[in-house]
Amino acid sequence: MKPALWIISMVFSVNIIQVVFNSSARAASCCGGGSGASLILPKFSRAMLDFGASYEHYDGFWDNKGNWVADPRGSDLNQYRINLGYAHRLAPRWQASASLPYVWNRNQYSQLQRNTDGPGDASLSFWYEAFDKIACVWEVNTWEDLIPAVYWGGTLTVPTGVSPYDDVQDNFDITGRGFYRFDASVLIDKTIYPWNASFSANYGQYLERDINHEYGTAVEPYEKKLGDRFSSSVTFGYTHFTDEMNSLTTTLAYSYLKEDKAEIDGITDSTSGFRKKSIALTLAWATPSRDWVTKLSWSHSPTRDGWGENFSATNVLSLGVSHVLR
Amino acid sequence: MSYVNRFLLVAGLIVLTACGDISDDLNPSDNDQREDVVAGSIGNMPGQMVADFTIKDSLGNDFILSEFLAGGATPADVIVLYFTMWCPICLSHSDHLNNFIIPQFENRGTVIYGLVDYVSGSVSITRASEQANGFVNSDFITLADENQLLFNQLNAAMGTVVVIDNDGTILLNEDYRTGTALADILGQQLP
Repeated sequence: MKPALWIISMVFSVNIIQVVFNSSARAASCCGGGSGASLILPKFSRAMLDFGASYEHYDGFWDNKGNWVADPRGSDLNQYRINLGYAHRLAPRWQASASLPYVWNRNQYSQLQRNTDGPGDASLSFWYEAFDKIACVWEVNTWEDLIPAVYWGGTLTVPTGVSPYDDVQDNFDITGRGFYRFDASVLIDKTIYPWNASFSANYGQYLERDINHEYGTAVEPYEKKLGDRFSSSVTFGYTHFTDEMNSLTTTLAYSYLKEDKAEIDGITDSTSGFRKKSIALTLAWATPSRDWVTKLSWSHSPTRDGWGENFSATNVLSLGVSHVLR
Repeated sequence: MSYVNRFLLVAGLIVLTACGDISDDLNPSDNDQREDVVAGSIGNMPGQMVADFTIKDSLGNDFILSEFLAGGATPADVIVLYFTMWCPICLSHSDHLNNFIIPQFENRGTVIYGLVDYVSGSVSITRASEQANGFVNSDFITLADENQLLFNQLNAAMGTVVVIDNDGTILLNEDYRTGTALADILGQQLP
């Protein structure tokens, strides 16, 4: 492969991954939204800054039987987020990243209007790249050309957001879940230009915590642990290169998110837990040097029975810019 | 200033803007911070007496608490109020009440189960929400807390369940959680 194309390949494949990860499903505002998404640094790069803004509109919800239900008449539920992220290379195969969102809730729920804001839950991640050579190719000549790039990751979500267990008035103030969570992730990505496909899976466990307040009111202390969380995503993408070697990649993603039932003082909370499916379309524009990438993404949850359970249906529009430091 | 330092500075400033709100989550406590209440005083805490109130039901009729207490026109053994905004969690709780709690105690005394809609703002919209969510002709009386007067009186939140004894004593006022505390209290109170 020509050196220029080799560099383009290695940078671009990771930027696609990052775009997809930033488009993953997020929690509803009434359940604590605003979680920061993972960042993945391109191989051989020193660092990366990422800034994103997103708008999430709520459109009804699925009940615990999976039937979609419209919000009460007159409702208009929205959440706006900005997300600041930084990724840094620690070693040739190791990188770390941090992400912190800030959340604005703008809600008209039936006759109740509430506008609040606060930081969301922050995340700290470590990623291990299980490959040394770039796995993106322009043509397949040997079986080795089919080997994908595999990333293994671990993420700690820190409850920097505002949760029901803080000094808040009601659920419309919430910008975070209120629990620490450890996640283990794997990402498998393969690019044979101009096509790309990836698969990611994530398994997370919340830490049990003490609770002595609910919505600002002191209560008899108890222990609560949210259910284990599993999410997965598959993507397919196509990249178009301009004559100036700018590139435009279109990616279609299908994501699945499931959270098991919580436990309160060791008793399973049968009213908790949720699942949600969504699809996302992403456009990513990269400069010839690939050190600036602009992303536009739209994530959609069809308001049909069976696409979720015990969770809000939402549409998310996201715009982000990443700057890679060599 | 390096990029790392810039990021940490900005991130730190953002966190600090709300550090008063998030400290409970970063370092959770098991200290019982409830204030002592004077038994029999008027208030919203367990052990206190609830002040009488009147609220419209979804058909526009007055629901007067004292009529359901001992000495009232239609006394009940216990009154259970659940505060709903018709959200996913609220409906899960309501379904749990409907499918597990109510059948468990249906032959043990008289219990009034009220769904308190504190977000609709009018009887007509409460009625519409009640219909849309399948609670018409259920075992619940749906109540329209038009100006959130009851919501504020009982210091409620989304998912709060309040249990009132037939002498007006508040027995429970907390998040519904698993429904276990509600079932325990009904088990103790009902014949």
